[in-house]
Amino acid sequence: MTQPGTGEIHLRRSVGTATATATSAGLAFAAIDYLGVVSIMAYAPGASGWLAIGIGACLVFLVAGVFSELNGLYPTAAGIRLYLGRALGTRTALTVTFTYMTTVVLVIAADAFLIGAALRHVLHEPAGLAYLWIAILLAVATAANLRGVVLAGWVQTVVTYVVLASTAIVSLIAIFHVGGSFRTPLHLFGAKPLSGIQAIAFALFLFAAFEWVTTTAEEARGPKVISRALFLAPLLIWATSTLFLLGLSHLVPFAALHHSPYPQLLLGQAALGSVGELWMLAITVLTALNTFNGGFLVASRFIYAAAREGNLPPVLARLNLNAVPWVAVCTLATASAVLAAVIFATGQWLLLVAVGATLEAGIYALASASLLILRRKEDRDRPFRLRGGRGLAIAGTAIFSIFGLATGLADPADSSHFSPTPLLVILVLAAISALYVNFGVPRVQAATAARRAAAARPSRRPPRPAPEAPPSDPTVEPMEP
Amino acid sequence: MAGWDELDEALVDYTTSCNSNERLRKMQRDWTRTLHFICSDTDDTFTMVVEAGEITGTPAGHQGVPDIVVTTDSETFCDMFWGDLNPVAKYLRGDIAVRGSQEDVMRLDAISYVIWPDA
Repeated sequence: MTQPGTGEIHLRRSVGTATATATSAGLAFAAIDYLGVVSIMAYAPGASGWLAIGIGACLVFLVAGVFSELNGLYPTAAGIRLYLGRALGTRTALTVTFTYMTTVVLVIAADAFLIGAALRHVLHEPAGLAYLWIAILLAVATAANLRGVVLAGWVQTVVTYVVLASTAIVSLIAIFHVGGSFRTPLHLFGAKPLSGIQAIAFALFLFAAFEWVTTTAEEARGPKVISRALFLAPLLIWATSTLFLLGLSHLVPFAALHHSPYPQLLLGQAALGSVGELWMLAITVLTALNTFNGGFLVASRFIYAAAREGNLPPVLARLNLNAVPWVAVCTLATASAVLAAVIFATGQWLLLVAVGATLEAGIYALASASLLILRRKEDRDRPFRLRGGRGLAIAGTAIFSIFGLATGLADPADSSHFSPTPLLVILVLAAISALYVNFGVPRVQAATAARRAAAARPSRRPPRPAPEAPPSDPTVEPMEP
Repeated sequence: MAGWDELDEALVDYTTSCNSNERLRKMQRDWTRTLHFICSDTDDTFTMVVEAGEITGTPAGHQGVPDIVVTTDSETFCDMFWGDLNPVAKYLRGDIAVRGSQEDVMRLDAISYVIWPDA
């Protein structure tokens, strides 16, 4: 139904600012964010990490502006794929999007691992049982997805706000707890300037995936809803993460945090004893609802669309009787289970944070570059236009590229060393994607074309009747043939 | 540019194909939606009412409050309803604009996929 005079379409079910903000914050704030805060603390001495998160949040506002304008130009679930395609070409867009989608597997696997580890810790079970919990969590999430269970919007909203509010409350209790102290709260660049930059780069990871809310643009109540969510969600994440960091730095020694996969439980324990630990465990499990629901849904539907378009093998588009792309869901679950097993076996959970931070900074740099190019190509009106867009887009491309390198060369296990491992992981993923896009996709498309040719399916649409000849004029002599 | 007669003919065929496909009916058994369509080139509009997976009407004009609104040119609609094009490819290129939840958008494509898997 078109609202007279406004040009806006009103749907029976549409997403308003509160839900869109919760979606954005919920997609970003996963259990791995607690480890993200610890990674910041590894590079920002004492309590100075709050400065890194603050600077990171300011930079994320620039990202919010970039995505708001891009979303205004192309308000579609195909989102980033379409922006990059129009700006950088289809093959580059596909390569980047396939690489980007691996972050979904990464986050699902990381959350499964972290929740499994937290459950095992609270239940005082042997270490080996953590993987059993991981397998159970992934199996439940897969089964729910295959049955077509989707969290209602209001449940997602409530879960997100409960997770953020609970983390903030426990952190506030820790901040005002007697016995702790804040050391060097302004010392971000004091020890080593490069460490300060790396701390800011890791702070960007806390906001990772907040921009995925653009995939809900088609169900938003109006064109400004997504823009508002893109600016409000980082504020919520900034406030919660800052309080969490201050709470940790006030009460929990860094030595206890650095090699622990459940810093949030240590904070809960330090602030409120067993009650706090159980509270934070419940919150950790709740984060999985958003991660598994959002992650499986976004990634499996992307795989379905890519397979339908002919960019992935058609088997990945197969639907079960609940209209769920079951092969895509099972592939995601298997990949997540394997990755979680690798994390479990190697204990390299902090490497995931570094890889995620590098990927996200790279995406922000590419989005800024896309805006720069599309400013030249598209001059039509959009509901949001970033002021100083050209200059800010150039700055964004440069800044986020530098931050991508800062985390890509970080050694998450030892902040005093450099390691190319995170960058290498991403380069390998990007190389596999590029090889597939350049050599695999043409083969898949050729096979599809051959199958269609073999089926020799004629057009079903009846041919349009030829237009009737105008009645002949009896006064005009017919021409000789 | 396709006229309403051509669109109507395509819609009748689409309705028959959907409603007679048992697998599709089973898959869409929990899908009750009102869809609005807008032809961007002719300004023709029409509605599709789906009840528990069965298309119960495709009247001209817009009726009721929509769950999904699909906008594209009349030729694309005709080809889509005759099963001669892949809606996802057009959608991902931005040629078909959809307003509605991602799940509903996927369900809409799933209809074409189940009826004409080779389109």
